[in-house]
Amino acid sequence: MLQKNNGQSDSAGSGDVPEDAGDGSGTTPAADQVVTARRKWLALLLQDRFACAAVLILIGVALCAVLGPLLIGDLATRQNLRDPGREPFSLDHGWAFVLGSDSLGRPVAARLIAAAGTTLSVAVPAVLCSLVVGSVWGMWAGFHGGWRENVSLRIADVILSFPSLLLAVVVLYVFSPSASGIVLVLAVARIPVYLRTARAESAELRSRLFMDAARTFGTSSWASIRRHVAPTVLPTLLTVAALDFCFVMLTESSLSFLGIGIQPPDVSWGLMVAQGRQELQSSWWIAVFPGLAIVVTTVSATVLAAWARLATDPGQRWRHGLRRGGRGRLRRPATGANGARQSSAAETAAVVAGAEPAHSPAPSGPEIEHAPAVPEAEAEPTPATPEAAPAPAPAPAPAPGDHASTSPATLAVDSLSVDIRTAAGPVPVVRGVSFAVRSGETLALLGESGCGKSMTAHAVAGLLDPAAEVVGGQALLEGEDLLGLGARARRRLAGPGLAIVFQDALSALNPVQTVGAQLAEPFRIHERMSRRAARARAVELMERVGIPEARSRAGAYPHQFSGGMRQRLLIAMAVALRPKVLLADEPTTALDVTVQAQIMDLLRELRSEQRMALVLITHDLGLVAEHADRVAVMYAGTVVETGPVAEVFGKPNHPYTRGLLESVPAEQHKGTRLNSIPGSPPDPRSVPSGCAFRMRCPMARDLCATHRPVLAATGAGRAAACHFGKELADA
Amino acid sequence: MFTMLRRRAVSSVIPLLVVVLGVFFLARLTGDPANLYLPLSATPEMRAEFSARNGFDQPLVNQFGDYLVQVAHLDFGESLRTAQSASGAVLRAFPATLQLAGWTMLLAIVGAVVIGSLAAYRPNSATDRIASFLSSTAASVPDFWFAIMGVLVFAVTLGWLPTSGTSGAAAWVLPVTTLLIRPFGVLVQVVRGAMVSALSAPYVKVARSKGANEVRVVFGHALRNAAAPALTVAGDLAVGLVNGAVVVETIFGWPGIGKLMIDSVLQRDFAVLQAAVLLTALVIFALNILVDICHAILDPRVRQRAAA
Repeated sequence: MLQKNNGQSDSAGSGDVPEDAGDGSGTTPAADQVVTARRKWLALLLQDRFACAAVLILIGVALCAVLGPLLIGDLATRQNLRDPGREPFSLDHGWAFVLGSDSLGRPVAARLIAAAGTTLSVAVPAVLCSLVVGSVWGMWAGFHGGWRENVSLRIADVILSFPSLLLAVVVLYVFSPSASGIVLVLAVARIPVYLRTARAESAELRSRLFMDAARTFGTSSWASIRRHVAPTVLPTLLTVAALDFCFVMLTESSLSFLGIGIQPPDVSWGLMVAQGRQELQSSWWIAVFPGLAIVVTTVSATVLAAWARLATDPGQRWRHGLRRGGRGRLRRPATGANGARQSSAAETAAVVAGAEPAHSPAPSGPEIEHAPAVPEAEAEPTPATPEAAPAPAPAPAPAPGDHASTSPATLAVDSLSVDIRTAAGPVPVVRGVSFAVRSGETLALLGESGCGKSMTAHAVAGLLDPAAEVVGGQALLEGEDLLGLGARARRRLAGPGLAIVFQDALSALNPVQTVGAQLAEPFRIHERMSRRAARARAVELMERVGIPEARSRAGAYPHQFSGGMRQRLLIAMAVALRPKVLLADEPTTALDVTVQAQIMDLLRELRSEQRMALVLITHDLGLVAEHADRVAVMYAGTVVETGPVAEVFGKPNHPYTRGLLESVPAEQHKGTRLNSIPGSPPDPRSVPSGCAFRMRCPMARDLCATHRPVLAATGAGRAAACHFGKELADA
Repeated sequence: MFTMLRRRAVSSVIPLLVVVLGVFFLARLTGDPANLYLPLSATPEMRAEFSARNGFDQPLVNQFGDYLVQVAHLDFGESLRTAQSASGAVLRAFPATLQLAGWTMLLAIVGAVVIGSLAAYRPNSATDRIASFLSSTAASVPDFWFAIMGVLVFAVTLGWLPTSGTSGAAAWVLPVTTLLIRPFGVLVQVVRGAMVSALSAPYVKVARSKGANEVRVVFGHALRNAAAPALTVAGDLAVGLVNGAVVVETIFGWPGIGKLMIDSVLQRDFAVLQAAVLLTALVIFALNILVDICHAILDPRVRQRAAA
């Protein structure tokens, strides 16, 4: 019967479920995992055209420096007084004169190459010296802390408080200018930079637990530094070194320019500019080209450093894949492109339209009869596909057994899909999620971390990161599609229409504003209240959510409150304008159990007081059981089961829900092994074909690998996305 | 706040002493001023007389002791070149540099905040890429070369601006631009980085969820949080302006402290060099304290730590 169902849905032309399934499994090639680390670096480098060019330029400069003497012989220093001031860009006199010649008839191009050698012979040793000395010193100081750290930092302060160029001038003047003198002075002048960086990073590591472990094992401090500190600190230090290379090169050329750096007959780029300055009016090219050489080399080093920083920081790497950081309006893709996924979303929508009264196309008859209890009914062409969406939120059907049945859905999310853009293409993280919540009702979005529940909430609230993008679906707030609104209309609803409470209250409150100002902000923005009036309202709100001495505490900053109080503040801010829908994204996860209960009670009170619709996003089954009216269980970016909490928890219609419930310790299981779901949730980049849960499912059969189950009604107000949902319901 | 300032001032004393000490001895290592100020034909007696008159015949330690006593009485000695008081020469030169540096930092900070925020608003957008590339180029341009190119284009070729001097607004354009370019380039990148992380912070999402418009989000919420790292770097860059001032003032003949210092090194004018370095070091320490105060104003957590 089930196979027939899928066959019918295919023949109905609404989608190619098997193809879709195959598509999902083939996105991540296994070969990707076997590339060596070095190849990976090369691949990362090749992705960035700027970094590639920079590397090529630096290699070119290095080659000039190494092979220069062989290439040009004494061309750079041989004077040719018969032929001074030759103009550039002419090959008549050989390649060496392509950039012209100076007043002594020496070819500029040849001198540039000779100068590359001199410049690098100063910059490279200087950077290496300060890198080695500074980083070892810094790691040592940071690792030990105490007076060693203090003395080292004071020394660094002294060196840094003295203008380095002036130091170099004085020292070079004392010891007569020479290349080795410059190396020495610049190395000393830059040691503090590495020292500070290495110290900061290793001091941070010092406080970590694994360092304590190493100490208890009696590992010597140098061994600890070599094994634990150095590998962590080194990437940062190398980035600093690349930037420092620019600084050293620039300082050397400044010194040479001022006449106390490289001395003739040696030649450096800075010295060439200085010489060119005398003849600026007659022959501009003498000064221009060496300057350009400095700019190009230093820019290359900067670009390379920026790339290295990006490449060594996994948290930043995703930015590579970002084409356009667009926030705001939804861009709907062409129907054909994502046809497979959309069609399955459409099917889900079709089912939910049946199960959820908000979308019922024929608002008549009792829920049980109306709902497509028989799978065949589900395959009937329904108008609720995203492409051909009808006028939003038609008159709702009464849903018997549902306590809020008489009111329409305040928020109805319909086949919402969200992709994250990565370098390897879009990764679907929310795949056709639908749910509805009425005023005065609490809906729990339940799922493990990474299942897409927070992403769903953020998409609805319009707060997705630039890398994430809504690619399909609707979120109707009292009939108005939030996802299709412009920025201004969206802002108008943010607060009075829809509000959100975040998980981590410390980072969700602006650390540099008083809580009073932050609580007053909604009134200032939406009701254009005066500062004083808004402040008074803020104090009232603080009193309402149970913050003692609200009047005086309004002038305090977030870090001066406890975790529970901060969460209260955040809730107060969210409910300030009596929103119709409140999204609470793991509102109690960071709190201890007693405070959790207080916060949940507060949310419950506010919900009934203000007749809000509350969407509670959580992974906590206990919280759901205690506080939610209905639950939508999410897995791998889709809703796998919905229904009233008591019924779903009493008799789950999806093996995943059942697995979740069985993994909760309970009295009747005492003495037996605690059940857990084997395996782990799929990587969003490689969700298995067919049913996303089949790898971990005790009931999986062949059918599950080829056909993706869609959310189908299994009872009154209940639905499950499982081929055997009905069997589970009837069992 | 005052506790913090006092602590800061106390901890500055030793570095200041080290700077004074270092300059004093390094300067004396540059050679005997008698070689420079007396004719080559000077007799040993004349040299001895010159040294005795300027106190160079004493052991170095005694000279340093005398110098410290003098400094304590705000007497910085006389210039060997002009026989005028060293403090006078330094104080005359100082305002020119201070004005130059002040305008430079003001323009650099304002420009960097605007451009850095624009770039950070949409990471990896065209604006961001252009701003990042231009700012990293700006940070890598050697100032002396930029100055010479400026002179070549705007003074020599186009004749719009004077090549040197301090008279009239036009004379300020090239020196300020030259001095500006590096700090500006660096600051744009710092502001951009700080703003990118501030704009992705949860409190920014919360502000948006309250219906705050983007101006309010960027300038009301994110910028103040991003200001701390930018402020630290701006302080370091302001210190580095002394380096730039040496180059720029030499090229444009700007009668500031950088030119004075270079001249006094080359002329072995110890008293002036010492006074100039001491004043510069004092200004740098004052600047660091100013940066600390700004940190405390911007961030209540710093304030609390400072009070504790």
